[in-house]
Amino acid sequence: MSAPAKLAYFVRTAVGSIVRSPFVHVIAVASLTLALVGFGVARLARAQLDTLVDALGGAVELTVYLADDADAAQVDALVTALSQRTGGTVTKVSPAEALGRLVTQLGEDGRGLADLPDNPLPWSLELSLPKGAREPQALEALAEKTRALPFVTGVDYGEEALERLTLIARALEVASLVVFTLVFLTAVIVVSATLQLAIFARREEIEIQKLVGATDRFVRVPFLLEGALQGVVAAALALGAVLALVRWLDGQGGELLAFARVGGALAVDWARLAAELFGAGTALGLAGSFIAVRRFLRV
Amino acid sequence: MIQMFHVTKAYPGDPPVLVDINLDIEKGEFVFLTGPSGAGKSTLLKLMFLAERATRGQILLAGRNVARLRESGIPYLRRNIGVVFQDFKLLPTRTVAENVGFTLDVLGTPRDEVRDRSLKMLRRVGLEHKADVSPLKLSGGEQQRVSLCRALVNDPALLLADEPTGNLDPALTVEIMDLLTDVNARGTTIVVATHDATLIERYQRRTLRLEKGTMVADERGAKAARLMSQTA
Repeated sequence: MSAPAKLAYFVRTAVGSIVRSPFVHVIAVASLTLALVGFGVARLARAQLDTLVDALGGAVELTVYLADDADAAQVDALVTALSQRTGGTVTKVSPAEALGRLVTQLGEDGRGLADLPDNPLPWSLELSLPKGAREPQALEALAEKTRALPFVTGVDYGEEALERLTLIARALEVASLVVFTLVFLTAVIVVSATLQLAIFARREEIEIQKLVGATDRFVRVPFLLEGALQGVVAAALALGAVLALVRWLDGQGGELLAFARVGGALAVDWARLAAELFGAGTALGLAGSFIAVRRFLRV
Repeated sequence: MIQMFHVTKAYPGDPPVLVDINLDIEKGEFVFLTGPSGAGKSTLLKLMFLAERATRGQILLAGRNVARLRESGIPYLRRNIGVVFQDFKLLPTRTVAENVGFTLDVLGTPRDEVRDRSLKMLRRVGLEHKADVSPLKLSGGEQQRVSLCRALVNDPALLLADEPTGNLDPALTVEIMDLLTDVNARGTTIVVATHDATLIERYQRRTLRLEKGTMVADERGAKAARLMSQTA
């Protein structure tokens, strides 16, 4: 027995079946493609939202206000403690620098501040955190701990904006999970139905295969392969469609997304997206054909 | 090669198709299985290639008790059995050569070898020139020969043929029977179900006669021929 010869036979049989009844397979591939395009677009949207959150998160820093009586050595000790504890970057902001920023921010209204006899602003530290530590809960916990440190009089971070964005990202995640479960289930059912037709069309062949000594696995594998092939073709088409969409958005369709744009062109990890699409396509095709083979193939 | 002990086959709600069948077919034998239509010939063949299971009794194929055989073991046993069907069972979507090579495909034989062996087999029955046409374009006799090629291409130890000459004219009948005789001479055990009395008289082989599901005669040589001429 030759495994390569068997594999070649399985591939020939699966491809032959698709070629012999193209219409039903087109329907299956179309529904799989639609599901995968949706999946691909959702992945793009999610990646874009992550970039947005990251960009905003990068700007959101933990600002630590220090007591007036903290001297330079104590400030330095706090800088070391905070950077070691969080792994982030700590920048010292002197009262003069803080006042200068405030004056600039207030513009006309801030002119009077420059005339104050004493600078009322304290020393402060601006803490820029690494990506993993920007989650609202982590930030809150860190703020709590920082407040307990000596000479710390207050801690401020953009909790509201960050919480809202994170909430939007989570809502999108849950919504896409629900939608994709439904879309994927539909695609699996369509694949399963087309494979049921293929099984029916090849019932004579299956009967003869069994009579000449084919094992159950030998009879089933071409159908499973057929489903997987549908998934692979659909993944390739979906990848092409997503590619076309990204090109369009980077070009004339870009104005639609202007509000959510962070950088220039959309940042897409094509290798990862291709792997996900081909993986999902193959899995969906296999799932559909597996159901059909289990339910309808009596060998 | 084939032993049956008190074998009965019945379908629920119907009278038994086969009743208390006992037989012993030796390796290398050529046996005719005869009897009127509905006597149980095809069912007996189906028991032999495990398309059906006996309701009662024991069947030994090549020394193996088929009642104890797991479903997963059946394909491996069938690979040693060639079957020729009355209705040919050829696939219209495949060429003649592909139909013949179907048995070898199942075994994972490389494609080139499948093609070579299929053509060689077709040459033996004079159909090599039809290798690449659809079986639908063949006459009944030609289709039967293709069916026979498919059954033999794997050099099976046992060949079961259900009315293999039923659709053939006398000249082709002789041709097919000569081929079967030749295959038998090379060691293959052959069981041919037929109600063609002239065949049995002409070839004078061991003949088992079934009537209403019961084995009524088991004769050899000239006696078998006489039996057929009396009862046909």
